[in-house]
Amino acid sequence: MAEALLELTDIRKSYGAYQALKGVSLSVAPGEFIALVGPSGCGKTTLLKHVAGFEDPDSGFVTIEGRSMLGVPPADRPTRIVFQKLALFPHMTVAENIGFPLKLRKVDRAEIAAKVEEMIRLMELKPEYLKRFPKQLSGGEQQRVALARSMISEPKLLLLDEPLSALDVKLKKVLQAELKRLHRMLGVTFVHVTHDLEEAMMLADRICVMRAGRILQVGKPDDIYYRPADAFVAGFIGETNLIPVEVQAIDGGGARTHVPALETNTMTIPAAQLAPGLERGPALMMIRPELISMLKDGGAECTMPAKVQEIFSKGGTVQYRARGPQGLEMVVELPGTPEKPAAIGDKLRLGWAERDVFLIPKPAEAG
Amino acid sequence: MNPRAQSAIAGIALYGTTAAVLIFFYVPIFTLIAFSFQEGRYLTLPLDGLSLKWYGALLDNAGARQALGNSTVIAAIATLFATAIGTVSAIAAVRYRFRGRAGFMGLAAAPLAFPQLLLGIMLLLWFSVLGRWLDFNMGLTTAIIGHVVCITPFVMVIVAVQVFTFDPTLEDAARDSGASNWQVYRYVTLPLLWPGIFSAAIFAFLLSWGNFYLTYSLAGSARTLPTFVFAGIAVGSSPLYPAIATVIFIPGLVLVILADRLRRRAAAA
Amino acid sequence: MTEDTVARSWSDPALLWKALPAVLLQTACFLAPLGMTVALTFQTTKSFQLTWTWNLATWTDVFSRAHYWTTLLHTLTMAGLCVALCIGLALPVAYALATRLQAFKNQVTVLITFAFLTDTTLKTFGWAMFLDRTGVANYLLKEIGIDTGGASILFSDWATMLGMVYNLLPFAIFTIYISIEAIDRALILAAYDAGASKFRAFWEVTLPLCRPGIWAGAVLIFLLAVGVFLEPKVLGGGKSPMSAELIRQTFETRVNWPLGAALTLVLMVVSVFVVLLFSRVYRLQRGRGLL
Repeated sequence: MAEALLELTDIRKSYGAYQALKGVSLSVAPGEFIALVGPSGCGKTTLLKHVAGFEDPDSGFVTIEGRSMLGVPPADRPTRIVFQKLALFPHMTVAENIGFPLKLRKVDRAEIAAKVEEMIRLMELKPEYLKRFPKQLSGGEQQRVALARSMISEPKLLLLDEPLSALDVKLKKVLQAELKRLHRMLGVTFVHVTHDLEEAMMLADRICVMRAGRILQVGKPDDIYYRPADAFVAGFIGETNLIPVEVQAIDGGGARTHVPALETNTMTIPAAQLAPGLERGPALMMIRPELISMLKDGGAECTMPAKVQEIFSKGGTVQYRARGPQGLEMVVELPGTPEKPAAIGDKLRLGWAERDVFLIPKPAEAG
Repeated sequence: MNPRAQSAIAGIALYGTTAAVLIFFYVPIFTLIAFSFQEGRYLTLPLDGLSLKWYGALLDNAGARQALGNSTVIAAIATLFATAIGTVSAIAAVRYRFRGRAGFMGLAAAPLAFPQLLLGIMLLLWFSVLGRWLDFNMGLTTAIIGHVVCITPFVMVIVAVQVFTFDPTLEDAARDSGASNWQVYRYVTLPLLWPGIFSAAIFAFLLSWGNFYLTYSLAGSARTLPTFVFAGIAVGSSPLYPAIATVIFIPGLVLVILADRLRRRAAAA
Repeated sequence: MTEDTVARSWSDPALLWKALPAVLLQTACFLAPLGMTVALTFQTTKSFQLTWTWNLATWTDVFSRAHYWTTLLHTLTMAGLCVALCIGLALPVAYALATRLQAFKNQVTVLITFAFLTDTTLKTFGWAMFLDRTGVANYLLKEIGIDTGGASILFSDWATMLGMVYNLLPFAIFTIYISIEAIDRALILAAYDAGASKFRAFWEVTLPLCRPGIWAGAVLIFLLAVGVFLEPKVLGGGKSPMSAELIRQTFETRVNWPLGAALTLVLMVVSVFVVLLFSRVYRLQRGRGLL
C-alpha cells in the first residue's frame, strides 16, 4: 500500500471560543482525488487552509510526504491552492499570472515562456489570451488560468476551494469534466472542497463528509451513498428514506429487527448492511428512493402500503412523495416515462429488496 | 402627485442646488483670476484694462519668489513623510487586528478634527519651550513637522479606503505561489495600492501647499505663499495677489485631475 | 470564509513598523504639546517672560472676565449656524452626486475637490474682493439696478458666515456622500414597491440611513468652525472677534502664553462638551424611537 502523501493527525483549531476543528484525522494517498463536503461552517475550508499553510493547528500534525509542515509557510510547501475567488492578479496579464510562480523562483525568461505555452495548451486556452488581462476573460476561462497558475510549479498536492461554485450549471459541467481529465492526465493529488454533492460523487475517488469540525465518514462515493455512517450523512448525500425500526438482537449473523411500518415486520438484516456502532434499541432503516418500486400487489421482500401525496417531475426522473403507515413520509424516484404509473391520491404498495437496506443508528438529538 | 412629476421636481431641486453650490465654490476663484489681469493698481470694477503686468511683477518680487520656494520645499518634504507614515498606518489600521486598535486609529486621526490654528499654537508653544532647551528656532523645519502632523491623518484616511477595497486573497495567492513577504509587497500589494497612494500624496502636497494656519504659527520669519498673501492683504491689496493665486491654481488643477484619474484607475483594477 | 483582517500582536515587526511611526508622531507632536498646553495654563507671565510657577492666577483671570465668555458664546453660535447651513446645502449636493449625476459625477467631484484644496487664504481674499464696496457683488447689483449705496456685505457677521460655510461645506458633502453611497439601493426600491412616493422614500429610508454621515459631517464642521480666525478677520473686518482671534491676540500682542493656553483649552473643552451633549440627546431620542 503506497505511503500516504498527506497525513492529517488529530487537527484541532479554535478561533477564540469557536472550535472550528475538533480533532480531524485524514490520510490521502498519492494521486487520489478526494472531496471534502459538508454544510457551511463544517470546517472543510479551514482544513484546506491548514494543508495549504495559511493556518497552523492549535494541536495535531500536518505531514506531507512524511515531513512535518509545522511552521512551514505556504510558499515552501509542495501544495498549491486555487481560491474560491480565483485571486488572479488584476494588474498582470494572463501570461504574467501563469508564469508568476516561476518568476519568483528566478527561472529564466525563455523557460517561463515555454512552460506558460505548455500550460495554455494543456488548459485549452487560446494563445491570444496570453496578452489579455483577467477581467477580459469569461468566468470559465479565468478558472483555467487560475488552474494553470497552480499547476505550473508542478505541486504534489492541488487544493481547490469550491472553485466551481460561482459558475452556471452548463459551465460547471464542462469544468468538472476538465478537472477529471487533468487529474487523470497529470496524476497530481487533488483535494477538492465543495458543497455540491453531485460534483463530489462524480469527481472524487473518495469523499470525506464533515460536520461541525469533525469528519463523519470517509469512503468511496458508493460506500458513502449506500452505506452511510449515520442519519446525517445519509440525508446529506442525497434524498433518502429513514424508517424507524427496533433492533432486538445483534450477533455475527446480523440484526433481528422489528419494523412496524412494513407488512412483513420482522426480518434479520445481514451484518454487512449494518452501520458500525449499531446497537440494540431504536434505529433507522435507510432505503434510497431509486431502489423502491411501486407495486400493484405483493412481490417484494419489504412492502409498505402508501398513498401518493405529490408528484415532482424532473424530466429524466420522477419523484413521488407518498405517505405510509404512522404518517411516515416516503420518497420514491423512478425513471420518467410518458405514462405515469400513479397519480396523486392513488393508494398503492411500495416495495424493495431486503439487500438494498442499510441500518444506521438513530441520532441522539431530535431530527 | 404622480411619480413623474415628483421625479422632475426632485431633479430640478437637486441639479439646481448642485449647480448653485458649484458656482458658489468658484466665485472667489474666478474673481481672483479676473482681477489678476487688472491693469491698474486698484482692485475695482470695471477693470481698468487687461494686462499681464502683474504676472511680470510677480517674477520680480523677491518676497514672492522666496515664498514660492519655501512653499515648495515644505510641501515636498511634508508630503514625503505624511504619505509614508499615513500609508503604513492605514495598512495597519485596516488589515490588522491588535490590542488598542481603536485607540491607535483615534490617536492617528485626532489632528483631523482639531482646529488648525489651535494646533499651530499648541505646537508653537511646544517648540518654543523645546527650542529654548535644545536651542533651535522656528523655521522651515518646525513648519514641516506641523504640516506632517496635520496631513498624515488625511493620507491615512484616503489610503485606508484603498486598502479596504483591496482583496487580501491576492496576497495569499502570491504567497501560495512562492512569494516571500517582500515579494508579495513588490509584485502584488504596492502595484495595486500605488494609484491610491499616489493620489493621496497629491492631496497631501496640495494641503501643505495651501496650508495657512500651521505655517502662520510655525514658520517663524519664513514665508510661504499663503502667509505671504495674508501679509499682503493686511498691508493693502493689489493685483499682485490675484496673479499669485492664478499661478498657484493651474498646477493645483492639473494635480487634482491627475489624482482623480489615478483613483479611478485604481478602482477599476 | 476569507478573513479580511489578520490578528497581530505588538511584538510582530509587521505591525510594529507600520503602526509605530504614527503613534510616535502624534504622541510627540500632538499629545505632548497638548499636555504642555495644559501645564502652561497654570503658569504666569511676568513682563513678557514666561515663568514656571504653578498657580491658578490664569484660571481666575479666565473665569472672571465676561469678555472671554461672550466671545465664546458668539463663536459657538456662529459654529452652530455654520453647521446647519452646511448640512442643509450638502444634503442635496451629496444626494445628487450619489444618485443622479452619473454622467457628470467625476467632473463635479474634481471641481469640488479642486476648490476645496486650493489655498484658503487666497479664496478668502477672493471673497473679500467680491464682496467689497468696490467689488464684484456691488458692481453686479448696480448693473441690475439695485443700488446698495456703497454699503457692502463685507465686514459683517454675514460675510464671516459666508466664508465659514464656503470653507467647510466640502467636508459635509464628503461625509454625507459616503453615507448615501453605502445605502443598499434595494432598500429604496423596496420602499417604492411598498407604495412610497419618492419624497416619502427619501424621508423614511434614505435620510435615516445616512444619519451617520450627517452626524460625522456635523461634528467635524463644528469642531473646525470653532477654530476659524481667517474669515472673521478678513471678511468680518475683525469687528466681531471669535475665540480663535482672541487667542491669537493673546499670544501675539499681549504675549500672555498661559492665558492663551487657557483660552485654547476652554474652547476645545467646551466644543467637545457641546458635541457630547448633542450626541447624548441624539441617542436618547433614538432610544425612545422619536427620531
